[in-house]
Amino acid sequence: MAILELNNVKKSFGTGHKQVDALKETNFSAEAGELIAVIGPSGSGKSTFLTIAGGLQTPTSGGILVNNQDLADLNEKQRSKIRLKEIGFILQASNLIPFLNVDNQMKLLDNVKKDNMTKDELNALYENLGIKDLRKKYPADLSGGERQRVAIAKALYSKPSILLADEPTASLDSEKAYEVMELLKKETKQNKTTTIVVTHDTRLIEYCDKVYEMTDGVLELKEKPSKN
Amino acid sequence: MLLLSNSLTGCDLMFLAWNEIKKNKLRFTLIMGVLMLVSYLVFFLSGLATGLASLNREAVDKWDATAIVLTEESDKSLPQSSLTNEEVDAFKDNETAILGQLNAIATNGDAKQNISLFGIDPEEFIMPDVTEGEKFAGINEVIASDTLKEDGFELGDELELSSTEEKLTIVGFTDSARFNAAPVLYGELATFQKVKFGEGVAEDETQINGIVIRGDDLSSITTSNEDLEVIEVETFIENLPGYTEQALTLNFMIYFLFAISSVIVAIFLYVLTVQKISMFGVMKAQGISNGYLSRSVIAQTFLLAFIGVVVGFALTLISGAFLPAAVPVSFDIPTMIIYGVILIIVAILGAVFSVLTIVKIDPLKAIGG
Ligand SMILES: Nc1ncnc2c1ncn2[C@@H]1O[C@H](COP(=O)(O)OP(=O)(O)OP(=O)(O)O)[C@@H](O)[C@H]1O
Ligand SMILES: [Mg+2]
Repeated sequence: MAILELNNVKKSFGTGHKQVDALKETNFSAEAGELIAVIGPSGSGKSTFLTIAGGLQTPTSGGILVNNQDLADLNEKQRSKIRLKEIGFILQASNLIPFLNVDNQMKLLDNVKKDNMTKDELNALYENLGIKDLRKKYPADLSGGERQRVAIAKALYSKPSILLADEPTASLDSEKAYEVMELLKKETKQNKTTTIVVTHDTRLIEYCDKVYEMTDGVLELKEKPSKN
Repeated sequence: MLLLSNSLTGCDLMFLAWNEIKKNKLRFTLIMGVLMLVSYLVFFLSGLATGLASLNREAVDKWDATAIVLTEESDKSLPQSSLTNEEVDAFKDNETAILGQLNAIATNGDAKQNISLFGIDPEEFIMPDVTEGEKFAGINEVIASDTLKEDGFELGDELELSSTEEKLTIVGFTDSARFNAAPVLYGELATFQKVKFGEGVAEDETQINGIVIRGDDLSSITTSNEDLEVIEVETFIENLPGYTEQALTLNFMIYFLFAISSVIVAIFLYVLTVQKISMFGVMKAQGISNGYLSRSVIAQTFLLAFIGVVVGFALTLISGAFLPAAVPVSFDIPTMIIYGVILIIVAILGAVFSVLTIVKIDPLKAIGG
């Protein structure tokens, strides 16, 4: 069963001759436990695709099903709830709260949502991500790579069914970038998440199950990478 | 502090609020400091308002009366009113007390002070309790407000009055009693008559200034005499010279400070909120609701305002204790508590701006892409 489905989704900005079709008619579906890469040049519509899939913006037309629930039927408040329950975002720039230490970044979610990871699960996650010694540190005191790993922990902490990552490795050197991809893969398989990673870096696609390429708003499935 | 911090972070609403305050101590201490200063000023002004008011009305409040009867033509002014002792009989269904009043300068040779002389009947309810010395027993003996002690007057002092040759002797003191800013001397009606009219006045011609009435119900106190006017005590006080003007001025300043503190908090929090737009956007993208974020901001404002007001309150009382007696401040705790609550409420109103800003943040813009 598909966890995430986009049916005939289109997104355009502006009208008349200034109209930009950021996303042309797109059909897409992803299963649980799939790690999917979306590559493509700058301005091709990757972020647009990802934010529409995550319910952060509404398409001009078409439907998005998250766990069979149509986002088009929901208002912003309800979509916010879906994001909280079903979706984890990992962004290019760190999405951590500056005045919360690593532990409290997670705890914040406990204030607004039930059924997050247990203490043991969180400890295992910290262990996996190699950040268990950083729990009391504030974002400003972390390196870029550490921050990105904390961001991943934060996205996974709420046990989302869908994990959306926009250039999660952009601020990292290639060594660290591989590490992060390795982690994403591990978590995807372990927790049966549906993970979509947008990236410029074609070397990272070898970690993924499927690779899509975005060109001028058109999303196309590419040949599976040889390895894997 | 640790205990406070634990109990605060344990509470959902205070989680963001308190963690942010902890991490940005200087910033929030500044806001709290401003709130503290504003509340300090409000409390002090309210103390001044109460002090100045009691300077005017203290003696009247001691009557615990419902109304006062003055002549119509006096226009609610006690010294301008003049009625005969017999007119009291018209109100005999109520508890009444006659009152003669005049202002004079009294001196004991060294100290000089504006005083208000009350001529009363010692059997009636205006008669004050004596806290030191004894009751006046004969003519020219008076009980004095003990505020006169601070002005250098003592038990047994012979007082010369500005308007007459008569001399008065202080035989006792009573609790602070002032009328229109002048300390009160209480004496027999005969003493008052002698001071006012000199020796030769006939007993049946005695003139008093007003009749003070205690009664359950103002509407039951009526007169058929068209020359007389029954005035509610509060109205009487409001018509004391300068009283209303003073009260209005100070209250106006206090109300203004309420508005100012609301605006200050609004500006401070708004600036802070604008700085945090992308952070709020990230949280909203994550699915954290407007409601939770708004409540956090309100909770934070409440915390800052509460601490600021409490510290301001304490500072007011502390500095009040060190003020010279001549400064007419008197702190009325219930009024101060009400003002404190109002300050906290207006501060929270100031946070509404920030809440509106947060609600309008588009998470998409905040996270970029
Ligand atoms: N809010 C918007 N208003 C107008 N045009 C927009 C808006 N958002 C995106 N676009 C346009 O839509 C197109 C796709 O943008 P998008 O951000 O999805 O690209 P991208 O593939 O993520 O690029 P990059 O790799 O540089 O992040 C671009 O031409 C962009 O200018
Ligand atoms: Mg992008």
